[in-house]
Amino acid sequence: MITYAYYPGCVAQESAKELDNATKFIADKLGINLIPMPEASCCGGGVIDGFDKNLKLFINGRTLALAEKDGLDIMTICNTCTLTLSEVNEELINNPESLEKTNEYLAKIGLKYSGKVKVKHILYAVRDDVGLDKLKEKAVKSLKGINIAPFYGCHILRPSSAVKFDDVENPQGFEELIKALGGEPVSYARRTKCCGFQTILVNEATSTSLAGNAIYEAQEKNADVMVTPCPLCHLSLDTYQTVAAKSINKKLSLPILHLPQLIGVALGGDYSEMGFSRHNVSLRGIMAKVRQNEI
Amino acid sequence: MEFKVRAYRFNPEIDEKPYYKEYTVEDYPGMTVLNALIKVKSELDGTLSFRRSCRSAICGSCAMKINGISKLACKTQVSPEIEKFGIINVEPLANMPVVRDLIVDQEIFFDKIKEIKPYLLGQREDEAHNHFHVLKEGEKISQPVYYKPEFQNLTGNNDTPNCILCECCYSECGGVVGNPRYLGPAALAKLYRYSEDPRDNDKNGSRLVNGSKPDGMWDCVHCQSCEEFCPKGISPVKSIVKLHERTIKNSITFSAGSKHVVSIAKSIGETGRLDEIKVAFESGGISGLINDLPMAFGAGLKGKIPPLRLKLIKDMEDIRLAYKELDLEEK
Ligand code: SF4
Ligand code: SF4
Ligand code: FES
Repeated sequence: MITYAYYPGCVAQESAKELDNATKFIADKLGINLIPMPEASCCGGGVIDGFDKNLKLFINGRTLALAEKDGLDIMTICNTCTLTLSEVNEELINNPESLEKTNEYLAKIGLKYSGKVKVKHILYAVRDDVGLDKLKEKAVKSLKGINIAPFYGCHILRPSSAVKFDDVENPQGFEELIKALGGEPVSYARRTKCCGFQTILVNEATSTSLAGNAIYEAQEKNADVMVTPCPLCHLSLDTYQTVAAKSINKKLSLPILHLPQLIGVALGGDYSEMGFSRHNVSLRGIMAKVRQNEI
Repeated sequence: MEFKVRAYRFNPEIDEKPYYKEYTVEDYPGMTVLNALIKVKSELDGTLSFRRSCRSAICGSCAMKINGISKLACKTQVSPEIEKFGIINVEPLANMPVVRDLIVDQEIFFDKIKEIKPYLLGQREDEAHNHFHVLKEGEKISQPVYYKPEFQNLTGNNDTPNCILCECCYSECGGVVGNPRYLGPAALAKLYRYSEDPRDNDKNGSRLVNGSKPDGMWDCVHCQSCEEFCPKGISPVKSIVKLHERTIKNSITFSAGSKHVVSIAKSIGETGRLDEIKVAFESGGISGLINDLPMAFGAGLKGKIPPLRLKLIKDMEDIRLAYKELDLEEK
């Protein structure tokens, strides 16, 4: 049994609850023990250092220290949480001044951090810790005949000084996982580009054109479905897909899965277990295809 | 070892549309992509056009897309590229119009650099200052006095002044892809560098105010590409985030971007969580919410509307203490 401190982040506990549920579903099937962190706070959504750099260190140093106290590594399911926690971790490990300052605060709340925790996104936890062979073994449905466009987004790859899971120029982790499940990874240039989420409330046109063009490119390459490791990307790509289509003046209709849902479907999860009714773009077509692919 | 160079070709005067042309080149140890292109140009096809000058990663001329990523051709070796991609695919930088082949029109990039006033303000008011002072015999140069403590770390970051204006970051910038008017990473990093400089005489904070307008610092989508792909190890996005912090600390919060950040910070200070509804409301004000209503309703019908009232995280007083320690409670 692999055990992690589980850090779902805010969005997976609020508007993307289906992601949290799908994660728990696959963790159970794959023998991953997820220890909840009810004390953990928001990471700051990737922008908190624009408010106060030390606040980013303190609140995330606290999250890291909570996991360290239990001797656990952290598993994340959001790109931006992954980057924020990783950045703070790097800073605390490499900058004694920042560590000292953060530990002064942590001491006041009965915690201490020494840099032992690793932060792992579920994509790479499944690839490296569970292993793709075990994943294959547990799959009950094949994703054969389904063209799956992996959308990495930004913060699971960049900056590679903080997140070091994959080759930032030509990542393959996602493709390997899709192949292990029998699916056909779609190759398209925007797979590592930005979904625009960070400015969705600030400059919607910028934001939705980025998401729209990524969806459009994948669609043009015959993708049946797009998969993302990040609930923020999912908001841009799925929830805002109708707005995105208008902003780039193209017809868009591509279902967007959270990564744990893709794995969940292969592990036998059904429409309601995966929370597909909460999506904007319908998943019925894909599920019909999957149903025929008994292993 | 022989390898293939696949080059983007386009001469707007004769070609209807761009095309690719392949060349076979013989490798030698340590060969750079620029070496390969020079070989193509001198031995195989004199019409292939690209910029280059220093051949040592200092002039910033030879930036181009190499296997999909903006890099300096003179700093990029052939063999690791071939190992990873099996080919040297070269294309012009993105986000700027193509003049010919691998050469782009840089005007828009430099216009944006000029827009942030990349020089010290208020330093040239005195006419005499502009004239050379001829040293008299025995006279010593008394300025500048950069060894004084107040002149250490003049630019906020040590990295920004190393910028060679190569445009790799600009070509990779998600913000510019989404909004071509966005100032972009190199210009904003410079804006930060000047806003930190104690010699800058920006009396009314015009740098931070102007930088907060639409198409400025708040249009960064935080894609991290500028940091990742800058060939000089500069992180424009870290400078941009410091600009954000400086702007908010100076209460310049008229932009939607700053409201957004303040609102997230407030939400965490109150609940330990990011309150999606509140943040959406406070970032865009009423109009933002009305804009997003059709979306929200679409999502709402499907049960996607986040809870209206969030439960506090456990041990919320820890987070409150962080705000208190950092003197952030009022904000
Ligand atoms: S910041 Fe880096 S990538 Fe951008 S123009 Fe300057 S040197 Fe080039
Ligand atoms: S982080 Fe911001 S400035 Fe840097 S490349 Fe991305 S959008 Fe552009
Ligand atoms: S030729 Fe000057 S930077 Fe490459």
